[in-house]
Amino acid sequence: MADVKQNSVFHQPWRRRLPLLPALIFTVLITQIPFLMSIYYSLTNWKIVPPGPRTFVWFKNYARLFTKDDRFFRDAAGVTVTMTVSAVLISLVLGTLFAILLDRKFFGQGFVRTLLITPFLIMPVVAGLIWKLQMFNSLYGVLNWVLERLGMDAVEFVGKHPTSSVVTVLVWQWTPFMMLIMLAGLQSQPTDVLEAAKVDGASSFGVFRQLTLRHLRPYFELGTLLGTIYIVQAFDHVAVMTGGGPGSTNIPYFVYKRSIGGGWLFGRASAYSIVVVVAALIIANLSLRLLSGLLEGEDIV
Amino acid sequence: MKKASSKRTGRSLAALAALGLVVAACGSSKTAEPAATTAAAPATEAAPAPTEAAPAATEAAPAATEAAPAATEAPAEREINVAIVGNPQMEDIAKLTPELFTAKTGIKVNYSILGEGDLREVTTRDVASGGEQFDVMMIGMFEAPQFGAAGLLNDLTPLATADKTYNIDDIIPAVRGGLSVDGKLYAAPFYAESSFLMYRKDVLEAAGQKLSAAPTWDEVAAVAKAVNTPEMAGICLRGKPGWGDLGAAFTTVLNTFGGTWWAANDDGSIGASQVDQPEFKEALTFYTDLLAAAGEKDAANSSYNECTKAMMDGKAAMWYDATVAASNLEGDNSPIKGKLGYALAPTKVTKASGWLWSWALAIPKTTTDVDAAWQYLSFATGPEYLKQAGTLIEGGWAGIPPGTRKSTYEIPEYKEAAAAFAGPTLDAMAAAPIDNPGTTKRPGLPGVQYVGVPEFQDVGNQCTELFSAVIAGQKTVDEALADCHDIASQASA
Repeated sequence: MADVKQNSVFHQPWRRRLPLLPALIFTVLITQIPFLMSIYYSLTNWKIVPPGPRTFVWFKNYARLFTKDDRFFRDAAGVTVTMTVSAVLISLVLGTLFAILLDRKFFGQGFVRTLLITPFLIMPVVAGLIWKLQMFNSLYGVLNWVLERLGMDAVEFVGKHPTSSVVTVLVWQWTPFMMLIMLAGLQSQPTDVLEAAKVDGASSFGVFRQLTLRHLRPYFELGTLLGTIYIVQAFDHVAVMTGGGPGSTNIPYFVYKRSIGGGWLFGRASAYSIVVVVAALIIANLSLRLLSGLLEGEDIV
Repeated sequence: MKKASSKRTGRSLAALAALGLVVAACGSSKTAEPAATTAAAPATEAAPAPTEAAPAATEAAPAATEAAPAATEAPAEREINVAIVGNPQMEDIAKLTPELFTAKTGIKVNYSILGEGDLREVTTRDVASGGEQFDVMMIGMFEAPQFGAAGLLNDLTPLATADKTYNIDDIIPAVRGGLSVDGKLYAAPFYAESSFLMYRKDVLEAAGQKLSAAPTWDEVAAVAKAVNTPEMAGICLRGKPGWGDLGAAFTTVLNTFGGTWWAANDDGSIGASQVDQPEFKEALTFYTDLLAAAGEKDAANSSYNECTKAMMDGKAAMWYDATVAASNLEGDNSPIKGKLGYALAPTKVTKASGWLWSWALAIPKTTTDVDAAWQYLSFATGPEYLKQAGTLIEGGWAGIPPGTRKSTYEIPEYKEAAAAFAGPTLDAMAAAPIDNPGTTKRPGLPGVQYVGVPEFQDVGNQCTELFSAVIAGQKTVDEALADCHDIASQASA
């Protein structure tokens, strides 16, 4: 009995995964050891400029999070939530629309698709600079040139609306990613079902609403999850576009500024990071388990 | 045929997305498994491309091995690791080192060329944790005295005095002072700058405005407002957050308005925050009002680079910034070459207000071969290199590292190439009030556009974010100052 159990539950899957093990161990080593060290650092008071001793302070760094001193961390957390939620939702909607358009056959389809994907391939720093200097700029930006041609006043996009500007660039970069996921979803639709619906006299909107959207649900969830994972950590755009200016400091940029960006408070910055990891884990797990079917049938625990 | 090819691109695109999924999901979710298998197929399709590229790589390899013996012929037994900041002058010297230095001394130099932020991070970590990564590192004038006073750097004074060719007394006194603590030089200046006011002579003349050679801020504000038009800003000032961006420009204004960040305790430690004092408010109000009335567009996101562009494009009539900016504005490809006038950094209640900055080379205490490190320093920051570089570097004489030595300003070729700005630069360097930047005693070590305490970086970064919000019109001066006062008070001892 025990033998059988070992065979089916433990032995079989692990033999199958054996080739994966070196990579897995490597990943664990390079991700989890630093993580454990971060946890330790977050319990210390450690300032390297001027070099001082690292003292163990237990949960003092965490307790600070709830005092007046750390209200800027809470501001940054608010900005991160706004930035991530709006960027993910907008790029998901736009990505779906583009995917639906691209799912049709038309002349030059491959070319258009390549063009649409390009923003995703551009480095974040470059994208931020291009947008800041060539699109948003009040003096020589394309957007303001258009506004002025239309008889309107120039808008200081990045200065007056820093968070929206960063979100715009994030959307521009991540829409192609969402589009690819949704396109994969659309193209994996069983054609026989669609044909059957047409034969039964369903309108094309009806087919879309009742069949396609349902079929796309896991793809929406996947897009949201992956988009959130990436956009939560958006750093480059903030750094090059606003430098954290007028209320656009998100958590990654905040942690950078408190640590290697001039604060040199590694204990406190580690505590911030740990809080973010814990919050992200809770949110991701809840959304995965409660809202989505992505982990359904997951029997490896 | 066409259909088939578009299908294939479709699949490889799906593979691209799948790749992202696999990376992110780490194979723990069920959906990632099929995604991974679909990724495998197009990957084999893509395989020919890398193999095509492979021969090129192997062709390149013999070339590298051929080059190797040539390098080993030189007696390169000694090696030093050097970290420098990636700007044009430093890249020039990295290129010239094998020819001018290694060939003569047999000391091989391994450069790490880093951006300013990375360099600061790497050197600070290395020196503070005794990482022993570098034998020579480039640090700023902010770090040099702090690291020196903390006993992390070698005192260069005896080495420099013993070196006959080095001529330590040739170094511009303000720069030497800024890099020294108690007369001990802790870093040798490679490049130095002050700040001054640059203005378009033609624009001011057309508007009937005049500026004196040592103007006050009130005078500058009046002229800026007079020449300000919708097409051309009266003045360009830094507004981008950061202790080295808005923080630098604003702190010089703050100093000359009689304000400061902190009072100093008797032992030189950080005293009470002075952000709530009337002088501070007056300075910030002046700075933000001037930007609102006659400043550049997008001021809250503008710093050195943005203002350079605004000046070049004729979108700003005046600019208060680093002296090194003049070498760009007077460059051969500049549309405003020859149209510029220069004045000392504007003042209010103090006599001089220009900042002082230097990128300098230091030898950490952990270095094992101090002699080799000094030989390198002597080469890189000595008078000889400046003379050799003028004919060898791309930028010509005007591109040699400025601001470090009096003798630089006596080289006839340099005087000719930099005729427009060499004089004003030297005047600005001489005037920079490194020892007494304001009206009150400062905590920590000397500094003009910063306070010479480690805490200033963090406080400066956080407060300039608030000030930048004022410039953008999102906060009032009072709101920003109240928050900034809290932040600065946390650093008080």
